[in-house]
Amino acid sequence: MNLTSAKWTGFLNMEIENREGKSIPKSIYYYNALKVQRPIYHGKSGMPCYYLLNVGGGYMDGDTYRIEIRVREKAKLMLTTLGATLIYKTPNKPVTQESEIFLEKDSYFVYLPDPIIGYKNARYKQVDTIHMEKGATLLYSDILTPGWSAEGSSFSYDKLQLNTNIYLEGELVVYDNIKLEPAVQQINALGFMDDYTHIGTFIVIGDKTDDDLIKRLHEVIHEQPGEFEAGISLLSTPGFTIRILAKLTQDIVRIISACHKLVSEEWFDETPSFLRKY
Amino acid sequence: MDSSLLALFQLCDSNFPSGGFSHSFGLETFIQRNRVHNRDTFSQWLSLFLKEQMVSSDGLAIKLIYQALEENDLDEVWRIDRLLTIQNMSRETREGTRFMGRSLVKIAGTIYDSELINLYSKRIKEKDSFGHPAVLFVLAGYHLKISRDTTMLYYLYSTIVNLVQNGVRAIPMGQTDGQRIISDFQPILKDAVEAVNRLEKTDFGTVAPGIEMAQMQHEYVNVRIFMS
Repeated sequence: MNLTSAKWTGFLNMEIENREGKSIPKSIYYYNALKVQRPIYHGKSGMPCYYLLNVGGGYMDGDTYRIEIRVREKAKLMLTTLGATLIYKTPNKPVTQESEIFLEKDSYFVYLPDPIIGYKNARYKQVDTIHMEKGATLLYSDILTPGWSAEGSSFSYDKLQLNTNIYLEGELVVYDNIKLEPAVQQINALGFMDDYTHIGTFIVIGDKTDDDLIKRLHEVIHEQPGEFEAGISLLSTPGFTIRILAKLTQDIVRIISACHKLVSEEWFDETPSFLRKY
Repeated sequence: MDSSLLALFQLCDSNFPSGGFSHSFGLETFIQRNRVHNRDTFSQWLSLFLKEQMVSSDGLAIKLIYQALEENDLDEVWRIDRLLTIQNMSRETREGTRFMGRSLVKIAGTIYDSELINLYSKRIKEKDSFGHPAVLFVLAGYHLKISRDTTMLYYLYSTIVNLVQNGVRAIPMGQTDGQRIISDFQPILKDAVEAVNRLEKTDFGTVAPGIEMAQMQHEYVNVRIFMS
């Protein structure tokens, strides 16, 4: 029992370890509005896939969430969500979610959540901090989308902010801070979002990153159908970022899935399974 | 006129060999797609670049570093040098900025007698710091006892002047159009300094997605006269 967990609207703590080639939970604890289902193991990878779900159906005014994950040495974990994270109006206090993730030596963590949807007058701030040790591999994604509004306006939420900090051996190597605040920013101006409404990010950190992989990913991205703009660029540490602007969630998901598949096959000789949602 | 102000002017001078001549910061991607093609569309891009990238990155960095220098907190200065570099997701823009930062540090080391600039130069040589024009500029402004807001204003001004010159060459536009833009931007630059002063640390590095996209996509632009 974690004594600090009661103050959160939802709390999750999980620790995964490698036992004879299979990654299994060393401990899992969740409280209140956050929950994970029993893991699914795809193929022979020994990698559990957990589905995170919000019991309450959506994030409401002033909700606070905290996720703590530790993937131990040589262990693997995939985490996704059962559905989109819905942020409803927050008249008094923004919704906040913080995650703290530790990836020990030679571990592998894949995070592929469904989109965050900001409804009318929603304010949401997410801060993710990831600590990596040498040899660890990270595949991390997020998607921000506007929710339906009665007026038909695409940007009726007040503010969505995603701040991601990744440390490698204690040194900050990635800092990403997306802030969309439609009422304040010139969101329809040339060069802000252009005509797009959805933004996706896929950050990958792994020692095996090279120019050839980036070139192939660039090709794979531009083979995908749909209306989107995408950019891929190397980080200052071995790894890369893909940023996608689109009008539909599925166009972003398709690109991230295709890139996930290529990286997984190249680095781990594994073809990821389709993530079945109910 | 104050002699220390003149000394900072030297850094703003478009003839100062900073390397800014070779970098468009994603502008070239917009030009290649014919999205920026005249004075009006260029001004729109420049305004967004200033308000939705420079303010929250370089501008806020200058404010935070100046504060750190006043509190003699050098670790914070070096932390922001790292943050300014890694927050940029486009490799070309990141490396271009780093190159410009190094050029500026090298020359500034010979024209200003500043221990801090020498220390920054040493850290860059020893790979403890990346090197960034905004960091050098605030070290120079602080050394010359220029106020924080004036340092910031001159930095933003020199960035705009450099980009206007690049725009004049690449779009192309007439020199008169270029000068009109620089003149039109004077109030916008003052607003930008005020906007920086309203920001908090948690606002650092929020970039308009389309501006960043053009910087990331520049690597794949076919006809290029700029390195970023």
